[in-house]
Amino acid sequence: MKRNTLVTGAVLLILATFSWAGWANWEYRKQAAEKRLANVSQAELVEVGDAQTALGPLIGRPAPQFSLEDLSGRRVSLADYKGKAVLINFWATWCGPCKVETPWLVDLRNQYAGKGFEILGVSTDDIDRGDAKAFGQEKQEISEFVQRMHMPYPVLIDGDSLSKPYGGLDAMPTSFFVDRSGKIVAATTGITSKDDIEVNIQKALKSSSLVPVGDFNPRSQNQDVDTQIATDFDREKS
Amino acid sequence: MRRVRKTLAVLLFAIVGVYAAAQVHETDKPIRTGPKADAVQYLYPEQVTVTAGKSAPVALHFRVKQGLHINSHAPKDEFLIPTVLSIPESSGVRLDSAEYPTGTEFALPVEPGTKLIVYTGEFAIQARLVAQPGDHMVEAKLRYQACDASACLPPKTITVPIDVVAK
Repeated sequence: MKRNTLVTGAVLLILATFSWAGWANWEYRKQAAEKRLANVSQAELVEVGDAQTALGPLIGRPAPQFSLEDLSGRRVSLADYKGKAVLINFWATWCGPCKVETPWLVDLRNQYAGKGFEILGVSTDDIDRGDAKAFGQEKQEISEFVQRMHMPYPVLIDGDSLSKPYGGLDAMPTSFFVDRSGKIVAATTGITSKDDIEVNIQKALKSSSLVPVGDFNPRSQNQDVDTQIATDFDREKS
Repeated sequence: MRRVRKTLAVLLFAIVGVYAAAQVHETDKPIRTGPKADAVQYLYPEQVTVTAGKSAPVALHFRVKQGLHINSHAPKDEFLIPTVLSIPESSGVRLDSAEYPTGTEFALPVEPGTKLIVYTGEFAIQARLVAQPGDHMVEAKLRYQACDASACLPPKTITVPIDVVAK
């Protein structure tokens, strides 16, 4: 009798141990899955953020030089605009936010052109120079977009060739605001607002020397936070 | 009696020990985050069995990463890149037709008046496949272009691997 009780107790104990082990294992797996999901979600949300963060090291440095063809085949270099404040705007025909942003850029270009400001629109649409027919079609598509959006500034092609010197260009639109001395004073990835763009244009127009290195905001990476600019901006708007 | 007790005790220690070891082993496993994942992930099916030579319906399921959207198959703007499924000609399987979901309306926060038609979260393409007899490892392709609320990633084509068994 005593022996039977002992064996039954032992069996129950073993069963309880297995049940606990099973439950603990299920809990562990559940928590691990949740942790994995949380990591993946975080990675998803920072994907475009990564593109912005990559721009940070370029701010305060001379804009990487380039020479690209425009839609008519003419070579256009950044050096051609020495002494002017330049907005290098990387865009693509397939980019919805670029389409929203372009009319703002056109307005701002027309507003500030007289003060020594120019925009270089750099298309990152794929182009295939090895296939003359495809190349012609691709240029035609870009050209149609440019005409439809009434872009009055130079539009260059083959922007992907600048991805390495310009921080990867992983997402569009990406803009670099270059001051008169050729240094990048602000950089943004993603659409913000017309007012934000205007503030950066004014910063590029006013800044002409090496800007101090400081913290930067990943969405709108500006250094040389000049409160005077904001004051001037408000004054001009009113 | 003592022998029974000893045996039970050893058995218990062994079970607990093996379980504890398994737990430590599990805990030591790193959480795999891997390289930056694609904006769209193919979910299922991995394998389908169809009647050879006849058009067979196959629903292909995908998931768009959280926070992103991709254009539908018929985006409103002609410049936007539609989501398109294709199957290489030499695979022994032909894409007879593909019915895409309608998509949902989406507007950029900076321009709420302009509606885009996009896919978010999980979506399925109702494909019809015609396969030659045999087992075919098909590498279908899905081309799409993804954006978040303020920026867009370049167009991309992912492989959609499906084992098509045609009898």
